[in-house]
Amino acid sequence: MELAWYALLGLFFAGYLVLGGYDYGVGLLLARGADAPRRRAALNAVGPFFLGNEVWLVAAAGILFGAFPVLEGELLAGSYPAVAAALAGVILVTAGVQLRSRPDSARARAAWDRVIVVGSLLAALGWGVVLAGLLQGVPLRADGHVAGVTHLFTPFAAATGLAVLALVVAHGATFLTLQLPTVEGDRLRPLARRLLLTAIVAVGAATVAGLLSDRVRAAAQRPAVGVLLAVLLVTALLAARAALGRRRPGLAFAATATALALPVLLIGATLWPYALVSTVEPSASLTVTDAAASGPTLRLLGWLTVPLLPALLGFQAMCLWIFRGRADGRAPVYW
Amino acid sequence: MDTLLLARLQFATTASVHFLFVAVTLGLVTLLVGMQTAWVVTGNHRWERLTRFWGQLYVINYVLGIATGVVMEFQFGLNWSGLSRYVGNVFGAPLAIETLVAFFLESTFLGMWIFGWHRLRRGAHLALLYGVAITAYASAFWIMVANSWLQNPVGYEVRDGVAHLTDFAALLTNPALWMALGHVVSAALLTGGLLMAAISAWHLNRRTPDLALFRSSLRIGLVTAALAITLVQGFGFAQFGPVGGVQPTKFGGDSPQAEVLIADWTSRFGPGDYLPPALSNVGLGFMILIGFALGLLWLLVPLLWRDWIIRLRFPLWLLMLALPLPFVALILGWIAREVGRHPWVAYGLLPVDQAVSPISPWLMAASLVGFTLLLGTLAVTNWMLLARYAARGAADPALGRPPAQPPADDPRPEPAFA
Repeated sequence: MELAWYALLGLFFAGYLVLGGYDYGVGLLLARGADAPRRRAALNAVGPFFLGNEVWLVAAAGILFGAFPVLEGELLAGSYPAVAAALAGVILVTAGVQLRSRPDSARARAAWDRVIVVGSLLAALGWGVVLAGLLQGVPLRADGHVAGVTHLFTPFAAATGLAVLALVVAHGATFLTLQLPTVEGDRLRPLARRLLLTAIVAVGAATVAGLLSDRVRAAAQRPAVGVLLAVLLVTALLAARAALGRRRPGLAFAATATALALPVLLIGATLWPYALVSTVEPSASLTVTDAAASGPTLRLLGWLTVPLLPALLGFQAMCLWIFRGRADGRAPVYW
Repeated sequence: MDTLLLARLQFATTASVHFLFVAVTLGLVTLLVGMQTAWVVTGNHRWERLTRFWGQLYVINYVLGIATGVVMEFQFGLNWSGLSRYVGNVFGAPLAIETLVAFFLESTFLGMWIFGWHRLRRGAHLALLYGVAITAYASAFWIMVANSWLQNPVGYEVRDGVAHLTDFAALLTNPALWMALGHVVSAALLTGGLLMAAISAWHLNRRTPDLALFRSSLRIGLVTAALAITLVQGFGFAQFGPVGGVQPTKFGGDSPQAEVLIADWTSRFGPGDYLPPALSNVGLGFMILIGFALGLLWLLVPLLWRDWIIRLRFPLWLLMLALPLPFVALILGWIAREVGRHPWVAYGLLPVDQAVSPISPWLMAASLVGFTLLLGTLAVTNWMLLARYAARGAADPALGRPPAQPPADDPRPEPAFA
């Protein structure tokens, strides 16, 4: 039962990285100096999906708290600066996207667009560092608490933060080639291909940094699986690049979405059976079972939420279906 | 500097800002449901315009509700890791349910509602708003279940120092829950109704265009606020019995039950100050005064007859001046409830100093200052935008604007693309 909840946690966080990922990618691409109508069109391509994307994070955090309370407390408090930065980023993007078109002046809108860029940057880097923190282990003491936060500042964490940032930008650009009107989408294709190349380099660099890090090697229970999944991630990015070259943006987006979801699987599989590995006290490491809530809580959550899962995913799918197709002149413009 | 004090301050600030926005969300969405239903049923264009105008304000207000809500959710893990460790098995369950079955769906529906104008059939579009409203109420319910458990922990047993869930039904029949839920929900209706009445009063007083439109919303807002204040008072006073029963120290420690309880705590947790600061009850007194003052809203209701409320002018001013009152009362009420359980996170079970995360005071201070500035700035900006959109009137809100029409609020026309 713990495994099922762990998988569900992974599903929702991976869903957030995929869906929130293109929000932030589109947000970051506002920085490339396009004119005001293009910036607005990019945000409205995300349009109807934006609110539904952000809440995958909320749901993941809810599962983390309800089903893995101990992991929740130690992971968040133990990665404080990274989580706080990511959170600030999430808030800036949420407010920025929804409010940027409410003022009339072009200057105010441009200022809000900069808020969105900064927010997207913080969110991508912050969650990247949190993921790296999981993979390199934390100084979890015998009393169950994480000591300090300086353990986050490692070359591997920096490399992972940058890799997630590169992934998110490339994913966002791929999303826009799929979702904007054909002419505009085609114009973005060369940029998206360049960004995918950058992402491949960044993911490669993070993988090498991980292989060189003693802490990562010590924490990894199944290093081979980790390397395999990293290779798979790079393959997905290569596939996306090739698909863009053949004018198959839908396929390319599927590939970058896979690439955004893979880090979660990579961490879960590489650390299994642990959820949080201690770098200072091996016996303090939390297995998934240790971290999970007790049986009655998991059963209750199962009874109350699992029957509703099809509805949750169904309404999200309904949103995708209603607003499918490229954002053309007939689509409402609100953001 | 003291990590615990900083963490408490941060919780108080975030929760206060959060409540200012979610109360308006909950109140307005209820009225919007009525307006859009009237539009779909009657087909009257006026209801569509009302839905768009008030919907626009609702959607702007919603932004800060989410932003502060996300911080609230993560704050438990960031600042209060002891809470997850010792009582997460019980307290985490209602919060997890809230995020999955309420918050998640609410946002999904709202995104479709905003972008669904002119794209969905009217019935489907209305159904989305019903979805938003139902999940908003579900959200309030589960949050109150979680909060009530902190006020009065029930349905658990402690094994190896950790609380385990034994009886979930006890969480739903918690004496600290139902009256408080009624109180909070009617306070939200009061806030939403008074906001609607006050903004309408502003337009009627300035004789802006659309007098007929704002006359309607003035009537809806005022009647809602008047009905709601009576419910607020009723649920409020009805709470004193159950709350005094389960939290004898909340309103001061001079009752015999409070003395027995404090003696018990002293034997189990060691000597200490087990009374909440006097401050929380001072605020409670002010809140009750505001509650009585707002009860006078009923005096304005008869003036709706033959529009005397508009013709006399001064009642319009009264409504505008009364607008801050429910917001002040909301904050004071929450301070009384939350500070009143001090020094406990979970009353009689988990003291605050065991719940706070063991992190450096400097980090906590940086987080407090950073998030307060961030949320404070966003809140003020949001209110300025709300005020501007409220003042702009119902001529052409961006929400629900037909796609073919070039947006009037754009400096230059935006053809299909580029």
